[in-house]
Amino acid sequence: MTILHEAGPEPRLEKARHIKYWTRCLKTFLPRQYTGNDSNRMYLAYFIISALDLLDALNTVSTGNERRDHVNWIYRCQHPKGGFRMWPGTDLGDRANDTNAKWDPANIPATYFALAALLILDDDFERVKRGQCLLWLQKMQREDGSFGETLVDGVVEGGRDPRLGYCATGVRHILRGSSAEPISIDGQTVRDIDVDSFVRCVRVAESFDGGIADEPFHEPQAGYTFCSLGALAFVGRLNTPDKSNPIEPNAPCDPHNVLKWLLSRQTELTDPDAGLDTEFHTAEEAPNTQHAEGKHVSKENGARDSKPIRQDPYQSVGSSIFDLLVDGAGMNGRTNKVADTCYAFWVGASLDIVGCVTLCNRAGLRRYLLGKTQHGVLGGFGKFPGDLPDLYHSYLGLAALSLAGSDQVKRLDGGMCLSAEARGRLPGLWDAWAVEGPTTT
Amino acid sequence: MGKYADDEQWSDVVPLPTDEGGDNPLAAIAYSEEYEETMSYLRAIMAANEYSPRVLDLTEDLIDMNPAHYTVWLYRAQCLFAIDSDLKEELEWLNETALTHQKNYQIWHHRNLIVDKLDQCEGETAFVESMFERDAKNYHVWSYRQWLVRRFGLWDKGELEFTEQMLQRDVRNNSAWNHRWFVVNGQEGAAGVGDPDIRAREMKFAMLAIAKAPQNQSPWNYLRGITKKSGMSLAHLKDFAEQYASLDQPDNIHSSFALDLLADILVEEKNTKQAAQALDLLEKTYDPIRKNYWAYRKEQLGLPAAVA
Repeated sequence: MTILHEAGPEPRLEKARHIKYWTRCLKTFLPRQYTGNDSNRMYLAYFIISALDLLDALNTVSTGNERRDHVNWIYRCQHPKGGFRMWPGTDLGDRANDTNAKWDPANIPATYFALAALLILDDDFERVKRGQCLLWLQKMQREDGSFGETLVDGVVEGGRDPRLGYCATGVRHILRGSSAEPISIDGQTVRDIDVDSFVRCVRVAESFDGGIADEPFHEPQAGYTFCSLGALAFVGRLNTPDKSNPIEPNAPCDPHNVLKWLLSRQTELTDPDAGLDTEFHTAEEAPNTQHAEGKHVSKENGARDSKPIRQDPYQSVGSSIFDLLVDGAGMNGRTNKVADTCYAFWVGASLDIVGCVTLCNRAGLRRYLLGKTQHGVLGGFGKFPGDLPDLYHSYLGLAALSLAGSDQVKRLDGGMCLSAEARGRLPGLWDAWAVEGPTTT
Repeated sequence: MGKYADDEQWSDVVPLPTDEGGDNPLAAIAYSEEYEETMSYLRAIMAANEYSPRVLDLTEDLIDMNPAHYTVWLYRAQCLFAIDSDLKEELEWLNETALTHQKNYQIWHHRNLIVDKLDQCEGETAFVESMFERDAKNYHVWSYRQWLVRRFGLWDKGELEFTEQMLQRDVRNNSAWNHRWFVVNGQEGAAGVGDPDIRAREMKFAMLAIAKAPQNQSPWNYLRGITKKSGMSLAHLKDFAEQYASLDQPDNIHSSFALDLLADILVEEKNTKQAAQALDLLEKTYDPIRKNYWAYRKEQLGLPAAVA
């Protein structure tokens, strides 16, 4: 209590400014700088809709007619043969034919984000080409169990990483619940994806240090770890520190090591310019060294001999917990990297999925987000302290804040990255489609 | 009017504008006229399935403005192969593009495709190293490096020495540590650290790195990885861990990772009382940021609550 008092009151979410930021994103053109993200518009759309939902402002900043237009735009991106595009930009309009159809494919992440946005907008899903989408989903899985991004000329294109696996299993979760048996949609029999081979595919990308990578032997990274855990939860094959999954195959193989790797991501290292030109340490400096080159020297002009420890690689921070609480502690995405707003979500949500979010330092995380990367004037969050806000970090910052226990944001469902309220609409859809939902979420 | 509309060479093409479908589209962007025009011409020639040198010019323009466009890369690749374009020239263009768009996935995928087709990797490792000059932890570049090693069998061609150089520049570069793990253990059928000589060499390498900077998680993880993969008991590391964290000198702990390792070793030895002491030090003094986790680990020991 004393320490918290000394550290000053916790900064607040500038809620009105955030609502203003997102309303601007909803109602006016995004600046030209977003052109490089033109082909990611569906996920930008989902960020905007979901952020306003988390701020409990979606229905107050827009009219029913406007929201109907938004829903129509999402359906405008639906592919005639099932699935969704990222944006209307690939549609060849009245010149579309069988030979050029390959240049206008449905896209796996676009499909997940479109369905998630429809869920948040409380759409009835009646216009979703559900049977065709699930048939296409099956074709998007490769022999090795991985999922691709698009189907072009019969070839599954795109990476093999769990981002795509997460989105694909998310689509399955929304549109067929947990039904492993073939289901009938509009008289058509729709079989399930190959869950077993997908799980094996995640398993081989588990790293020796507890994190999960996009592919075997690549460096583990928090975003890929989230996608892997999230996908395993979607297909009901997740192991957690508390509970081994009774169904084989399952993953991760060592959930305690995953937990430790995730918690190791929390760091008080927040300055991205610190340590870019790190020099090799000489033996004379060891063992009591912190990287304190350049402007990043200890706040106490040298670390105290008896307390040399911070996991912070580059920067000597003061040696009392006082500093820690003042500065807050964000999350990095890989070992020995600096904190970044988005990893507060990737790590926080991973912990939420395995049921351990309270094991991280949530107060420190809130201080990092609210005191360091929240933009006090424009609203939104930047990637690093002092950065201008962008949609990606502003959304994930808000989502992370909910997981970190803020009462100023709606409760988030970490696994789906939308409000628990929106996810709560799924059982109603499953009932209407007469498919099984998972027994536990 | 515009670059393409004014160009004789493109006069046969009727541009195909985008159709947002109605009012209030989501995430609409204030496109430049140049981008809108380029997209309209791109759609028109994609619709015609054209494969020609001018497709390369147009796709280059478009990629410059929107490198995340997922079908334009596939279209460009099909076009390159269809007109038998000079793939070395393509690589040169990619070198520049990669520098402007360092975090883009498609560029690296495209590079894979081209280098695979060329069936030779001359100059590629040097290019990768020039990328590391800018960002020594770029994920795409490390992934590409792994692909090169596998595709062209570079396992014994200086790759281990390369990881050493990278770690000499920054002993905390976890990407370089991970690459080392890959070089040692990633080859199909290789014993890796299962081989006693290799294991000894790698343990020594990690231990020397720890001596230089004890509060660096990467080599500690590397050491633990070795023991786990080769089925060794953690107890082999006890003396080493105690050099940096001894319970006899609780005020003189040099590495929280050593202390954590020691706690695990003590658990393995069923010495729960001392394990709790080590975890206590982490919680209260040496790693308070993770205090909830260390408290949780203490609970897992199943000791009476009195310890806390």
